[in-house]
Amino acid sequence: MPSRTYVSVSDRIQRAVRSVAGKLLLWTSLIVFAVFSVVPMLWLILAPSKTQTELIDLDPLAFGSFAGYVNSWNNLMVFQDGRIITWVFNSIWYTTIIVIIACGSALLAGYALAATRLPFRKPLLIVTLVAMIVPPVAFVLPLFVQISSLGLYNSPWAIILTGSFYPFGVFLAYIYFSTTIPHELYDAARIDGAGEWGTFFRIAMPLSTGLLGMLGFFAFTANWVNFFLPYVMVNTGELLTLPVGLGILFSSTPALNPGVGANSSPIRGPEIALAGLMVAIPILLVFLASARLIVRGVLSGSVKS
Amino acid sequence: MFTPYAVLLVLFAIVPIGLAFSTSLKPSLANPEGGFANYLFVINDFRFWPAVINISTFLAIYLPSMVIVVASLSLLLDAIKSRWSVPLRLAYLVPASITGAVAILVWYFMLEPKFSPFKGILLELGLTSGSQIFAQTKLVWVFALMAFFTGAGNWIVIQYGSLQSISEDILEAAKIDGANVFQTALQIKLPLIRKYLIYMTILTFAAGLQIFVEPYLLSSSVYPNIARDWSLNQLSYSLAFSGANLGAATALSLMLLLVCVIAALLVIFRTDFFDEARMKED
Amino acid sequence: MHKIISVPIAIASILTLAACAGAGSSGGSTDSSTGTTALQDSPRELLIWVDIVREPAAKMYAEKMAGEIDVTVEVVAQEEMLPKIALANQTGSGWPDLLFAPPNDIAIWADASNGYALALDDYLDPSIIEGYEGSNDWCLIEGQYYCLKNDLAQTVLWYDTVLFDELGLTIPTTFSEFSTEAMKLKGTGYVAGAIGDQGFYSGYLWPSGCPMTSVQDGTTVRINPDTPECSRVWKEIQPLVDAGVLDTRSAFDAGFIADVANAGKVAMHIGPSWWGEFVIRPADSWGIEAGRISAAPMPKWSGESINYSGEWGGGIWAVSSNAVNPQDAVDAIVYLATSVEVAKDGVTFPGFKPAYEAWSARLDADPYYAISPVAAMKSQASKIRQTEKPVRFNAQGQIGATLQAGLNGGETVEKSVRSFLDSLQQLAPGGGYTVID
Repeated sequence: MPSRTYVSVSDRIQRAVRSVAGKLLLWTSLIVFAVFSVVPMLWLILAPSKTQTELIDLDPLAFGSFAGYVNSWNNLMVFQDGRIITWVFNSIWYTTIIVIIACGSALLAGYALAATRLPFRKPLLIVTLVAMIVPPVAFVLPLFVQISSLGLYNSPWAIILTGSFYPFGVFLAYIYFSTTIPHELYDAARIDGAGEWGTFFRIAMPLSTGLLGMLGFFAFTANWVNFFLPYVMVNTGELLTLPVGLGILFSSTPALNPGVGANSSPIRGPEIALAGLMVAIPILLVFLASARLIVRGVLSGSVKS
Repeated sequence: MFTPYAVLLVLFAIVPIGLAFSTSLKPSLANPEGGFANYLFVINDFRFWPAVINISTFLAIYLPSMVIVVASLSLLLDAIKSRWSVPLRLAYLVPASITGAVAILVWYFMLEPKFSPFKGILLELGLTSGSQIFAQTKLVWVFALMAFFTGAGNWIVIQYGSLQSISEDILEAAKIDGANVFQTALQIKLPLIRKYLIYMTILTFAAGLQIFVEPYLLSSSVYPNIARDWSLNQLSYSLAFSGANLGAATALSLMLLLVCVIAALLVIFRTDFFDEARMKED
Repeated sequence: MHKIISVPIAIASILTLAACAGAGSSGGSTDSSTGTTALQDSPRELLIWVDIVREPAAKMYAEKMAGEIDVTVEVVAQEEMLPKIALANQTGSGWPDLLFAPPNDIAIWADASNGYALALDDYLDPSIIEGYEGSNDWCLIEGQYYCLKNDLAQTVLWYDTVLFDELGLTIPTTFSEFSTEAMKLKGTGYVAGAIGDQGFYSGYLWPSGCPMTSVQDGTTVRINPDTPECSRVWKEIQPLVDAGVLDTRSAFDAGFIADVANAGKVAMHIGPSWWGEFVIRPADSWGIEAGRISAAPMPKWSGESINYSGEWGGGIWAVSSNAVNPQDAVDAIVYLATSVEVAKDGVTFPGFKPAYEAWSARLDADPYYAISPVAAMKSQASKIRQTEKPVRFNAQGQIGATLQAGLNGGETVEKSVRSFLDSLQQLAPGGGYTVID
């Protein structure tokens, strides 16, 4: 509760003077932080437009030329005869399937938790909450042991199935179905004789487009950039994803470490920046487009929109 | 209906932990007996305590700066009540797309004075050469900086969102009482978003504890192996695939997992963040 | 209730699906990497893992064998070879048939606890080992050859002939002369090299005989910083660091390259035989112009009768013991390690004699060098100090993690060396060794 304080007129004048200085400080902090936030991305977008020499000699935020992008791309394509295309393709189709399985299973499970008489509901919910808070990296080694014993090691399914486990999505769906849709609606449908699936498809599904957007957003952003899991699950270069591929460019080309072969590959700063850009841009666009979803999603535990 | 998710839960969370536990008791060259000695072996490894110190220092820098900056910037953003808050919020979201491998790439160029757009600031700080920054004693700052920028903007926008849910009545009452912007922020808004800040802290703690990609990839840059076995997860990876000791590696991995699970249980049972979810029971 | 019952059914169905997917990938026609099943009528396959420098040679081999053997070339970073083979061992699939790797890895792979590397003796023509004239002994473990050396990376003293004239320097033949000459550069901005990377290990500590990975027998390794062979290095080098004539950054550091190397301020530099073509010459590296550079034999440590070299690099080719057609894989590494057509255009000094002849002829004729560096390289080739051996733990990784990090971070030379050796002493038991002084 607010603490009640008595304020005199002279205090008000003093405050007005202070508020100009305060405003200045306020805006400076906000803008400085914005600059620090945007400059690295700006650099990343501009870097591939330059050549390696220009990258060193020109101003860091200078633009090279549009031909520079083409040139960087062509150089990038030299690595393993266009392996970058395979990585992009893999990233796209793995992530797509993960998003579909993750969202589908989360939607159903959230609905089951919220609207049906599920046995062991409470323990299941708590296990889900725990799994959601524990970062996925913590599971990598146990998952590796599991995946190799399933015989799935070094197959796309190792990445897809492990990536599809989506407790956060289940929680989001659970909160959504238990708060935004009145229970009476489910009950009415059940009285009408609709089974649980019928109720789900007739009542819950049509009302959950907003939820699906949120589920898709978090599933996509988490899996598109995932590094450790696919890195450990797959051994063959052809099966890797773009972020792991970027890691390979790090360690096996002279871009960041001239010690591995200064003049034996055209992959240098601009080329690796272009590869990095390809990882970052989809995430950036999705983030900017879904700013509101983020707030609603993360705080769905206690803030209801 | 619950089945597809239950299958994933069992196959890719519960069973792996069980399997990892049995793996963690397996023998190795270094410990032919196997068993719980693997857990001791990890703790006695000469890289274990340095990694613990690294991670603790990292968290000690990263967590408070997150709390302070996120709380103050979201309060500031809320205070300006201007249409400029939209582009500012979008700007803060930009670094969230620079994570993992991309973060190492970008920050290498941001921190190497020869390439950096922030060259002026670096030189002011007396940093004229990359090797001064990518030095082992300072790596913790580098990783904290990366983690901070990846996460902070995101959370500023989220906390800003939670500030929007504070009822107008409360704010109006404060205004009538003569509270200025500063007082309102500190005495009314801050306590109201406290629980979200705690939630954020525990999530970032769990994630920070598991740091892997950044030190791992920095070690394949100009400064080869500089951050080798810097974090506990890296040590676990090294034990598994470079020391051929999967037993000790999974032992370490499970210890880390345990800490995260405890953190999770703390959020669930000791904060009111998930009350909504739990209270609906029975 | 029946939802709970359906869980096991669903698990079973996923497992079935998993099994199918697993089978699909190992028997699949496109995925040569798993390579565990070779159908009788399918073409022979080889999977090669190389670093980016050796990629062109491996591709050359793929083209040469086209139609006969289906060769797949995969670029894998050098420091990833060890963990990736461990991953494959762990899961029992995904090994490459042959690979190019850092020299130390072979000790781990040759050991039964790992078992990746195939003993080559039964598959090799004896003339191959003879052609190496002893420089393949690195690969000789417990009486069998487990690898072929791709190249020798013996250290020599690279120097700038023009700067030597201008500054009145003479070529040092001992390390105390090296110090004297280096001290002449004090305050001039010129340096006698950069020591903040693996070059310090291979160019100073190893030639001095400091016992670091000094394998005595299968289960004993000697690691001891408290020997004169170690202490004389830091005693000699520390004053040069203090005087600023040895840079403590890496020779690859962006700042060192821009401020020192590109500015033509490196008067001399102890470095491996590939240093000239790889580091000094390329325009986007040091970019030193033609007509200046040459190499001299290594300086000698006081009290030694021989001016020893160490090695930085000198990678090896190894074959998988799981290879379906081991002879094919061995034939491939023989080609890659010893053939004249591969070696003659390479950057590195070939270990195999006939290949070396072709290579040195090219370098001798190259107008880039003021005086051909071949004579110095050749004389050092037989003087690689035999104290350092491959070990069954990752010693290579510790160079960057401790030695280089210490030097870059401004620690004293002694402290950096001690922390490096200390970490080796700690790691050795994990590789099944007893450490002796």
